[in-house]
Amino acid sequence: MIVCLGCARPPAPQPTDAVRIVFVHQPLWGEPAPFNALLDTFRREHPHIELVTQLLPNDSDVSHQYFLTSLEGQGADFDVLVADVVWVPEFARAGWISELSADFPQTELAEDFLPAAISAVTWEGKTWAVPWYLDVGLLYYRTDLVPHAPRTWGELETFTRAAMKKDPALQGFLWQGRQYEGLVCNVYETLWGFGGKSLENGHLALDTPEAAKALHTLRRFVERGLSPPSVTSAAEEESRRPFQDGRAVFMRNWPYAFGEAQKEGSLVRGKVGLSFLPTASGEPGFGTLGGWQLAINARTPPERRAAAVELIRALTSSEANVKFARAYGRNPARRSAYAALKDTSFAQLEPMLERARPRPVTPYYGMISDILQSEFSAAISGIRSPEEALQQAQRQVDRVMGAQ
Amino acid sequence: MLLVAPAVLLLAGVALYPILATVWLSLHRSILVFHEHRFIGLENWASLLGDARFWASLRTTLYFVAVAVSLELLLGLLFALLLHASFRGRGLLRAAVLVPWAIPTVVAARLWSWLFNADHGLLPALLPGHDVNWLGAPGYALHAAIVVDVWKTTPFVALILLAGLQAIPPELSRAAQLDGAGPLRILGSITLPLLRPAIAVAAVFRGLDAMRVFDAVYALTGGGPANTTETLSIYAYKTLMRSGDFGYGSTIAVATFLCVAVLAGLYLKLVMPNAGGQEA
Repeated sequence: MIVCLGCARPPAPQPTDAVRIVFVHQPLWGEPAPFNALLDTFRREHPHIELVTQLLPNDSDVSHQYFLTSLEGQGADFDVLVADVVWVPEFARAGWISELSADFPQTELAEDFLPAAISAVTWEGKTWAVPWYLDVGLLYYRTDLVPHAPRTWGELETFTRAAMKKDPALQGFLWQGRQYEGLVCNVYETLWGFGGKSLENGHLALDTPEAAKALHTLRRFVERGLSPPSVTSAAEEESRRPFQDGRAVFMRNWPYAFGEAQKEGSLVRGKVGLSFLPTASGEPGFGTLGGWQLAINARTPPERRAAAVELIRALTSSEANVKFARAYGRNPARRSAYAALKDTSFAQLEPMLERARPRPVTPYYGMISDILQSEFSAAISGIRSPEEALQQAQRQVDRVMGAQ
Repeated sequence: MLLVAPAVLLLAGVALYPILATVWLSLHRSILVFHEHRFIGLENWASLLGDARFWASLRTTLYFVAVAVSLELLLGLLFALLLHASFRGRGLLRAAVLVPWAIPTVVAARLWSWLFNADHGLLPALLPGHDVNWLGAPGYALHAAIVVDVWKTTPFVALILLAGLQAIPPELSRAAQLDGAGPLRILGSITLPLLRPAIAVAAVFRGLDAMRVFDAVYALTGGGPANTTETLSIYAYKTLMRSGDFGYGSTIAVATFLCVAVLAGLYLKLVMPNAGGQEA
């Protein structure tokens, strides 16, 4: 596959002893101006650094593939890279990214970054990347159709039933059940709500009562017609569109859907509430952490590495977080940024991000998620019972993790 | 000999070397994340034989090939006969038929995924049993993928068959007509036998292509639900690129290559010699 590596802008004239660093990232969409302004400020403040940016395709799988081949090929043609939350332990274990504990000690991160964000960049107690912006799984509800945000799964079901009784054309609860990474996020959120854990002492326990309850709960919504049959093949957009057209009561989705729902022309504008996902006990639920982190190529030589650390510091500062939120709707990873944004819709996300949890933080994740996707898919589409699917998943996961 | 040397070298470089390198890789345990790269002989191949997921994906692929290619040949033949007849606006229709073939597969698959959408897609509303989720129900999703492939590649088959039809001298059917043969008799006794080489070419091209199908299915279902639409190529891709298991992924890729080679050999043996004989 061909990776498009277009230089975003021509390098400005530099002093001859300038250190040249290359930053690869996915397109941010929207106006390029605010991002370029941020980079230009960095260039002005660091005249000895020649910063070059390169674009990756906007597809997480393809970017992963690019990093896999180029980092394993020991290429040093880029210095700063953007990594998905689930890649950090994998890249760290493989020795592809440089340890950052000396530059960004855990204690320093803990002062301002949200806990889930820190756990996603930490592996074996060390820092391997710095959170850039975050995502979290949320419950969207129609303020005109339900009395308040449901706290338990039971309440969500009751509210859905009541709203659908009044208007049988409504679709109930929309979520993402297609065989892909989003399904793993949906299932883990439900599993955490039943008291399950991602990892215990390095062991990935799947064949548990909590996981079975989670899959039964999701499957039940489909069986009882409280989620449409299409959820078993839906990704984010297949959920957002009908919700935005006013055809559903609830939706699980990432924060981007809120901005879309509040746009002019949206049929649910002003009628959308955001909340924690439900749990079994009624305590506020846990959304899956998503988002992107900045890391340094392990092959980057020392003089370029120092410049790369400077760039990461600048891009992950509280001010940069705020600028990114305002310009691109990206959710900050720092508490101080939320304080600065307290009059905006970002502020309402902070409590959910405080309770966000990462998927199993393990270098095996790339291998495991493939197994989870297919077994979770089998359970929610009724091909196997949840118990059977979980046993099969456990057997395969144990084989992968025990293989080492 | 010297004159063909550049061509042979080029082929060796772009075709032979990658194949041999993949075969060599399939004899290793090679997992990038763990920096493991050691020779393990035929261990991967032994695992492959006992790998239920491999056999399931092989079955899925063969079913896909059989159903999709049969439909494509049948519909392609119909279209070719239609486009071969002379009528007003034939040129326009010929161009229009090619549109699906011109659309990039991934774009076509995304388009169809909205058409198949269980809640507001056009197709479930038109088809019987309209509460079925075509893309999320086991047994249906693979057929949805077949529909996309048929829609996309029938024009290609029609085009090859149309070229075949145009190579048949019109005097033959005219002579048969004079002898009192009806249109069906002409089709069965003259057109189809003479079209056999073209049909064989279309079948070989489509069959080999369909054995390696990836993009149409991957963009439509991602291999789901529960791997029921996972073809050999999707399994190889996921193992190679998502899991980073290059040794085993290469084993699946080589196995796919072998299946394609066997299929190609069968085709050539069964269809091509006859066709060649008739031409002579």
